[in-house]
Amino acid sequence: MAFFATLKAAVNIATSQSYDIDWREPKVKEAAIVHWEEVKAAADPALPLAGLRLTAEQKSKLDELLKGESVFPDQPTDELLDGMPDAIPSASLNRICGSIIDNCLNNHNHAVVAASDDVAIQRASLVVVPAFSRYLRSVASLHDAEPVWSAPLDTVCIHVQRGELIYVGVVSREVAALEVLELLEGVQQALGEYIGHVTELTLKENFATVYQLLSEMVDSGSAVTTDTAVLRGLVPVPSLVDRVIENVAGIGMRAERRPAVNTSSTPWRAPGIRHTNNEIFVDVVERIDATVEAGGAVAAYDVSGDISCNARLTGMPDLLLAVNRADAMDDVAFHPCVRAARWDAERVIAFVPPDGQFKLASFHVAADPAASPLLPLRLHAATSRLPDQSHAIEISADAGHTAGRPVEKIHVRVPLPANAYNIRVQCKAGSHTVSNVRLPQVEWSLKALRPTERGARLTIHYLLRAPSASEPPLSAGNELGAQAAFVDFEVAGYSISSLKVESLKLLRESYKIFKGVRYVTKAGSFQLRF
Amino acid sequence: MLPNDRGYRFSGVESSRKVHDLRAELTSEKKDPRQQRKKIAMKKVVANMTMGNDMSPLFQEVIACMSIPDLEVKKMVYLFLINYARARAEIANLAVNGFEDDLNDPNPLVRAMAIRTMGYIYVERVIESLIDPLRHCLRDRDPYVRKTAAMAVLKLSMFDRSLVEEERFLDMLKDLLADGNPSVVANAVAALTEISERSPHIKLKLNMKIANKLITALNECNEWGQIYILESLMYVVPQDSSDAETIIERIMPRLQHGNSGVVLVSVKVISYMMNYVSQVETLEPILRKLSPPLVTLLTAGPEVQYITLRNIQLLLQRWPTILQNQLRAFFCKYDDPIYVKLAKLEVILSLTTEDNARVVLTELTEYATEIDIDFVRKAVRSIGRIAIKIELAADRCVRALLDLIQTKVNYVVQEAIVVIRDIFRKYPNRYESIIGTLCENLGSLDESEARAAMIWIIGQYADRIDNSDEVLGTFLESFLDDTAEVQLALLTAIVKLFIMRPTAGQDLVPKVLKWATEDVDSPDIRDRGFIYWRLLSTDPELARTIVLSDKPEITAEGERLDMPLLEELLLQIGTLSSIYRKPPSTFIPFAKKRVLGV
Repeated sequence: MAFFATLKAAVNIATSQSYDIDWREPKVKEAAIVHWEEVKAAADPALPLAGLRLTAEQKSKLDELLKGESVFPDQPTDELLDGMPDAIPSASLNRICGSIIDNCLNNHNHAVVAASDDVAIQRASLVVVPAFSRYLRSVASLHDAEPVWSAPLDTVCIHVQRGELIYVGVVSREVAALEVLELLEGVQQALGEYIGHVTELTLKENFATVYQLLSEMVDSGSAVTTDTAVLRGLVPVPSLVDRVIENVAGIGMRAERRPAVNTSSTPWRAPGIRHTNNEIFVDVVERIDATVEAGGAVAAYDVSGDISCNARLTGMPDLLLAVNRADAMDDVAFHPCVRAARWDAERVIAFVPPDGQFKLASFHVAADPAASPLLPLRLHAATSRLPDQSHAIEISADAGHTAGRPVEKIHVRVPLPANAYNIRVQCKAGSHTVSNVRLPQVEWSLKALRPTERGARLTIHYLLRAPSASEPPLSAGNELGAQAAFVDFEVAGYSISSLKVESLKLLRESYKIFKGVRYVTKAGSFQLRF
Repeated sequence: MLPNDRGYRFSGVESSRKVHDLRAELTSEKKDPRQQRKKIAMKKVVANMTMGNDMSPLFQEVIACMSIPDLEVKKMVYLFLINYARARAEIANLAVNGFEDDLNDPNPLVRAMAIRTMGYIYVERVIESLIDPLRHCLRDRDPYVRKTAAMAVLKLSMFDRSLVEEERFLDMLKDLLADGNPSVVANAVAALTEISERSPHIKLKLNMKIANKLITALNECNEWGQIYILESLMYVVPQDSSDAETIIERIMPRLQHGNSGVVLVSVKVISYMMNYVSQVETLEPILRKLSPPLVTLLTAGPEVQYITLRNIQLLLQRWPTILQNQLRAFFCKYDDPIYVKLAKLEVILSLTTEDNARVVLTELTEYATEIDIDFVRKAVRSIGRIAIKIELAADRCVRALLDLIQTKVNYVVQEAIVVIRDIFRKYPNRYESIIGTLCENLGSLDESEARAAMIWIIGQYADRIDNSDEVLGTFLESFLDDTAEVQLALLTAIVKLFIMRPTAGQDLVPKVLKWATEDVDSPDIRDRGFIYWRLLSTDPELARTIVLSDKPEITAEGERLDMPLLEELLLQIGTLSSIYRKPPSTFIPFAKKRVLGV
C-alpha cells in the first residue's frame, strides 16, 4: 500500500504548479527594476507622492521603508519592491481615467489618448500608459493588439484605434468592457466634431477644449453623455464663427445659456431652429458582408443597413416614415429621437429629427436560410503554380443581382506574401497598381461593370523569394502564396433587400418640405478566398 | 527604459520662465473688457499643466480668476484646482470662498460645476464645506445640479465612506430614485450601486416597485443612463416567475440599441432573470430573441466583436440552444485580428453538431493553411476536438489531419500529432493503421508536446509496432537533453514496452530507470522512476495492472467551466471577469462576489 501513497504524492507534484512570484528570481527582479525606473522617471519630483490617498498604514510603511531618504532612491530595495504594489492604492482609482496623457509611440507614430479626471489616476497612468505603449510596441502589428490588456498596478487598459490615435481607458475595477469601448468611441467622435482632424498636434492645440469636453463626458469615472448635440450646449465649439459671435455678443451670452439637457423633452433638438428651405434627405445604405470561396460558393453572407437623414427643417417637425418591408428589418436600432413604442405597435418610424446629419436607424436584414445569397458582383478566383515556379492568380468579376444597374467603384485589393517579387499584372479592363509599402499588394480598379457587359479579368504572376538563411526554417509562410482578396463596390439606386421608403409625412408644422430618398448597396467586409 | 516618452517637457529653467510670463499675463493691468487676455492666458496654463509642467506656483493668480463671470474661464480654473489642490492644501483652502460663491450662483451650470469640482478635492476643509451645500444641491430645483450632486455623493464616499453613511446621503440618493427627471434617476442609481459595490456592509436590494419605476425612466434616458439603470436591475431579486417575466418583457426592446454596451447589459439582465423563470416553454422564445442582437454585434468593430464572442461562449455553455443555425456568422475573415479569430474558433467549436460537422471541417481545413501560426495551431487542435466531441465525424477528422500532415509544414505536423494522441485515447483500437504515416515524421518533431505525444502513442501500441524498441531507443539517446514532459513520457513508454514485450525492452528499462532516478533534477520524474523500479522488482503483475490500466475517458469539453464559476460569470456578462473567465475577486482588490439571490 505504501506504493500508492507515493504514487498519489507524485501525481500531486505533477499537477500542482506554483504561480507565486519570487522577487529574488533574477528575471522578476530585473522586470521590477525596469518598472521602478519608470515610476521614478515619471514621478514629478515637485510633488512627492502627493495626490495619492494613502492609508495611515501604507504611509507609515512607506516612511519606514524610505527612512527619511528621497522618495525615489536610485536602487529599489527588496522591501520597497515588495511594498510597491500597495504604494498606489488601487481602490482610490476611478472607473475610467480621464485627462490626456500625451505619449508618442516611437515605432508606430501613434499618440495615445488616455482619459482621466483624477490626479491619482494620472499618476497611475504615468506608469500604466508607458507600460501599455510598450505592450503595443511588442506586438507584431497594432492590428493584433488585444483590446483588453492587463496593466501594472491592478489596472486594465481597454483601447480602440481610430485614425492616427489610440484611445485608452484605464480601469481599475470591474466594468462593462463595451461601455468603455463605446465611451472611447464617443470621445473620439466628439473630439472629431470639435477639433476636426484629430492628431497629436491638434489635440495639443486644443487642450483646454479637450479637457472641458472630457469633464462633461465623464464624471467620477462614469460616462455622462456622448451626444454632441448636448455637449455643444455645455462646451463652446472653438471655431472662427464662434469667436466672431463672442466678440459681437459679449461674454455674458454663453454663461446665460442653460444646459440644453434639462429644459427640453427633445434634448437632441434645440428650440427655435429656422431654415429658409425646408428639406430632408434620406439615405438608405445597405452593406453586404461576405466571404466567397474561390469557386464562387458563398461561405458567409450577411446584409446590414442604415437609414441616415440630413434634416434642415424649421421649428419642431414631427415626421412619420413608413417602409415597404418592415419585417425584413431585423434587430433595428434607432436614434434616441425615434418613438420605439410606435415602431413596436405599428411598424412606422415616428420622430422629431435632430437638426442636420444623423443616423436614424441601423438594421440587419433577416436572412432567409432557404434562399441563396444575392450578390451584386460575382467573383471567381483560380490560383496555380506554373512550371517556372511562379505563382498565378486569376480573378474574374461579373455583374450579378443589381436589377439592371451597373456595379460601380469596383476595387479589388490582393495582398501578396512579404517575400513576393517580380510581380506582373494583366487586366484588359480597368486600371491596376502594384505597391510595396508594408507588404506587396496589387490593386485593381474598375469604374463600372454593366450587367450586359462581359465580365472583367485580372491576372497576377509573381515569384517567391527563397527563405534566407537567417530566417527560421520552420516558418512555412515562406512557401504560402496569396490567400485572399478584399473587394469593394457600390450599386447606386439599388437596395439588395428591396427595402423602400414608402412615405415620409410631416406633422405638427404646416410648411411644405422637399424630400429626397437615395438608395445604395455597398460591399461591407467582402472577401474572396483563394 | 523608454528614450523619453514625454519628450517635450520643459527643463526646470524654461518651466520657471513660463510661469513668470504667464503670471504677468494673468495679472496684467491692460484693458481686458471681455476677458479675452485672461482666457488665453488660462488656456496656456491648462495646456502647460497637461504637458507635465508644474503650474502650481500660479495658484494665487489663478484663484483670483474665479471671480471672473465667464464660464469658460471658470472651467479652466476648476481644471487647475482639480489638478493641484488635492496635493496642496493651501491652494484648496484659498479656493473655498470662491467655491462658496459659486454654489450660490444663479446659473445652475456654475452650481453644478462647483459641486463637481469640490468632490474631486479630497482636502479636509473643502470636504467640510461641501457637506451642507451638497445636501442642498441634491434638492436643487435644477435637474442638472441634482444629477451632478448625485455623482458628488459617490466621490465623497470614495474619500470617506462613513461620512456618507453618517450624513444620511444614502437616503437622499434613494429619494432621488423617484425624481421626475430620468437622468437624475440614472445618476442616483449609478451612485448607489457603485457605493454599495465598494462598501463591505451595504447590500443593495431593490424591490419590484422600484424596479418598475426604474424601467419606466429607462425609456427616456440617454444611452449611459440606460446602462446604469439596467445595471441596477441586477440588484432586483424577483419574488416569483412572473416578476422575472415582467422585467424581461419590459427590457427586451433595449436589445435593439445602437450602443453595444446597452445591448450586452440587457443580455446580462435577461440571462439573470431567466434563472427565475419557471416554465421551460417561456424560456424558448426569450432565447430565440437573444440571438439576432448578438449576431448584429459581430458586425461592429473588432474590439466589440471580441468582447461579444467571449460572452457568447459563456452564454452558449448555459443556454446551448441560442444561436442555432447561426454558425456561419462566426466564420473567420482573413483580416480579422488574431484575438477575434481565436475567439471565433471557440464559438465555432461549441456550435458544431453532427449536422454541420462537415461544413465546419471544410472551414477549419481552410484556416489550417493560413499564415498566422497561432491560428493555424488552434485550427488543427479544433479538428481534433471535433473528432472527440462528435463520434460520427471522427473518421473525417482523422482524414483531414492526415492530409495536413502530408503538407509537411512543421508546426502543423506537430500540432496534428498532439491531437491524434487524444483521438487514440478516445477511440482505442480504431485508427492504429495510421501509425505508419505518423512515424514518417519522427525526425521533424522538435517540440516537447509533440515528442511526448508521439512517444505516448508508441508506448501505448508498443506490442503492435514492430520496431517500437528501436524508435524508443532513438528517443532515449537524447533523454537527458529533453524536457521533463518528454522524459516522463519516455519513462512510462519504455516501462510499457517492457511489460508488453519484455525481451524488446530489457535493455532500455535499466538505462531509463537509472537516468531517471540518478541524473534528473525533477522530483516528479525521480519519484516516478523509483515507483516503477520497485513495482517492477517486487510485483510485476501489479506493475502490469497499474501501468496498462484503462485510462479514464477524455472529453472535448476540456475548456468548459465549472458550474459555480459559470454561474458567477453569467452574472458578470460583459465585464472584465467574463473576458478573463475569472471571478472579479481574483483581480480586483475590493470586488464583491455575486451570487444568485433567493
